[in-house]
Amino acid sequence: MTLLLDMVTTAAILFIVAAGLLAIFGVLKIINFAHGAWLTIGAYCAVATAGLGLNPWAALPIAFAVGAILGGITELVIVRPLYRRPLDAILATWGLGIVIGQLITLWFGRDVQFTSNLLSGTVDVFGVGYSLYRLFAVAAALVIGLAFTFLLEGTRLGLSAQAVIMNEVLARALGVDTARVRLATFIVGTGLAALAGVLLTPLTSVDPNMGVAWLIGSFMLVMVAGSSFSTLAIACIVFGGAQVLVSTFVSPILGGITVAVLCALVLRISPKGFARA
Amino acid sequence: MPENRSIPPRVWLFAAIALATAVVVVIGPALFDRFTLNVLTRSMIYAMLAVTVDILWGYTGILTFGQAAFFGTGAYASAMVLSHLGSTPALLALALALAVIVPVLLGGFVGWLSFGHGSTPLYATVISLVVPIVVTQLVFSGGVWTGSSSGLVGYSGLPLGLPGYFRLTGICLIVTTVVALVFTRSDAGKLLVAIRDNEARCAYLGLNPQRLKIVLTALLAGVAGIAGFLYANASGVVAPENTGFVFGTEIVLWTALGGRGTIIGPVMGAIGIDYLSAQLSGDLPFLWNLVVGTLFVVMIILLPNGLAQLARMALPRRNGEQANAAGSPAITVAPAGNGSTGDNRVLSVSGLGKSFGSLQVLQGIDLDVRPGELVSLVGPNGAGKTTLMRCLSDGTEATTGSVSIAGQNIDGMTPDEIVTLGVGRKFQVASVFDSLTVADCLRMARASRQAPSLLRRSATLGLPAAAADILRSTGLDRMLGQPVSLLSHGQKQSLELAMVVALEPKLILLDEPTAGLTKVERTTIGGTLQKLTGELGFAAILVEHDLDFVRDISTRIVVLHQGKLVLDGSVAEVVNSETVRTIYSGAAHA
Repeated sequence: MTLLLDMVTTAAILFIVAAGLLAIFGVLKIINFAHGAWLTIGAYCAVATAGLGLNPWAALPIAFAVGAILGGITELVIVRPLYRRPLDAILATWGLGIVIGQLITLWFGRDVQFTSNLLSGTVDVFGVGYSLYRLFAVAAALVIGLAFTFLLEGTRLGLSAQAVIMNEVLARALGVDTARVRLATFIVGTGLAALAGVLLTPLTSVDPNMGVAWLIGSFMLVMVAGSSFSTLAIACIVFGGAQVLVSTFVSPILGGITVAVLCALVLRISPKGFARA
Repeated sequence: MPENRSIPPRVWLFAAIALATAVVVVIGPALFDRFTLNVLTRSMIYAMLAVTVDILWGYTGILTFGQAAFFGTGAYASAMVLSHLGSTPALLALALALAVIVPVLLGGFVGWLSFGHGSTPLYATVISLVVPIVVTQLVFSGGVWTGSSSGLVGYSGLPLGLPGYFRLTGICLIVTTVVALVFTRSDAGKLLVAIRDNEARCAYLGLNPQRLKIVLTALLAGVAGIAGFLYANASGVVAPENTGFVFGTEIVLWTALGGRGTIIGPVMGAIGIDYLSAQLSGDLPFLWNLVVGTLFVVMIILLPNGLAQLARMALPRRNGEQANAAGSPAITVAPAGNGSTGDNRVLSVSGLGKSFGSLQVLQGIDLDVRPGELVSLVGPNGAGKTTLMRCLSDGTEATTGSVSIAGQNIDGMTPDEIVTLGVGRKFQVASVFDSLTVADCLRMARASRQAPSLLRRSATLGLPAAAADILRSTGLDRMLGQPVSLLSHGQKQSLELAMVVALEPKLILLDEPTAGLTKVERTTIGGTLQKLTGELGFAAILVEHDLDFVRDISTRIVVLHQGKLVLDGSVAEVVNSETVRTIYSGAAHA
């Protein structure tokens, strides 16, 4: 039973972490390698919030706002000139990640920080005591997933974003301001990444390089998922589940690379991953 | 000055620089203190890695973070032999051998994984990220064998001492750099740029870009393995960080800052940044990384070709005329290849069909083409003309039926294999290599028949008479040293046709070769096609919208409508046919 819960909650956490990256990749077709840095920014927002003596939950909106504002600046200054050079965009955002990591180190020091727990304790699920926070993560993943579905299906921005995903040239010819769609998507994606950083704080230690560990896993999941949130959810469940199984029955160290290896193999067999046109 | 062509002054310059560097390397230990020697030894090992990344990324266009994994594998293979078995001369030789063999095997596997049929450049980058992570985790889970997270230390390596390692590393770096420079400037080196520019065109020139990339990955993994062997010996310690993906990104960073695609730039970048890091990180540890990171971002955006670009802008430009003279080889006429085969049908199609899901694009196509025929394929937009051309040149495209080229069924064959059967395809939009010169493009077209030199730039360009004729009649023969990016649209079309003819195909497929050309250019191409088929015995299939042009040059016309072949006959038959009028002007008009 615990195993099953571990699989579901791990999938949920992967989904939360990867969602921001997927939004950006789906619309901009650009890999934001600074994604890890935004997770770190979010986590340090939680540290700062706690330092100011505010309610730990206040870190969520603060992190989203900080992440979104920085994301907007990044899109205008760094990402926009590189749309035609996607491989260079990977490098530039990776460089930005280094810069952010160093700035955080200069400001907060390189030591591991601790934050107050958002939710502590366990609850009984079918007779098994289980971490309340990990269950909350499932709810958070569902909220994020539904919010995105609403954003894509129910709003004008979402409609424009879908048009850009399908055929950017046509969308521009039809009068969609693709530059604005890209900017808005980048802002939402980075805001979400920072939010995910806050949600990670109870599960992992907070240090200036924490984001890198999460970057590759979410990056691989996004490559497999293509540009759809439902395929991302499926990918998270399948590979997150496999990760828990390998960690439990084989070795936790190999569990850490399960997602990346399986995703690479899936992409070799079917270059489009789970996203079948 | 054609006599001067054999040894351009730049070669002397490079030789002089290499010699000067060698002198510095030999007397270095007398000049530097121990700390500097240590750091420079490491920096020079890293510079070897930067050279391999530059060949893969700067020249071939494969952004890779995986060289760190091969470097780490080589280092660990050496250190494991030396710690667990000992360091007798025989075991040192074994360590070196393993440090090359294991990365080469791993590189071959990674190459196979990265470069499947139809994989994207992004996917290769993805794999190159996964490999270092996997290797690092394997090191962590290796227990006493790999020393896990603390790495391996306390083994004895080559009995050289600090000055000896400095000299050995320096010599290895100079050799690596010189070999890389010679290779990338040779005819074979242009192949890398051709792959980066236009992989599809490479395949349709009968080359196998996927296999070339796999071989390149494996070889450069071996070079990284040698660097790993040097590192394991010189530093006396190997750690998991040496294999990691973060280290992989650092190598790319040095390459980018130094200037991709220049070999020298990345070497300078690696040595400069690693040396400065070691000097400065004591005083301002985080600030230094911040400066490097910021510089990197700014460079990628504003100066994608790195500091080498600045250096090039600062140096006086070479005289354009001289560059042209040095770059233009003389055309020689290559002897014609083997002639016709027993079966005189060049192409035989029966029952060919192609569907995308439930949409039937082509069905029941039967078509035979013989040498000397110029068959025009006409039909309204969406009739399936281009799809048919694709089915004839790529054996994995057709859904049903069979296509035979010179009597051989092409089912399941890839474009480069079909090219060797004697099919040349000219695309609708001129598909050439924009970063190469006209002569280099033509040489690529001959590369599948005559392996290009790994060492030299040849002073001659061997072409079949037919291809040389096209160059002469279009004036391209006077522009051989020009970069393709400077050609006009019509000249690119002619160049592509010359490249296709240089393949000496039995059958040429042409997709709207005259689209967007002037009347004069059109006439030239029409005349060339008639000569190729009528006098030289090539067969050609031409997709064309301009019916006047078709009527002037064709020997036969085939009409395609809604995926079916509705008419196949002589020019007179088709032009006067009621069916064609109906198709082109709508049924009501009949």
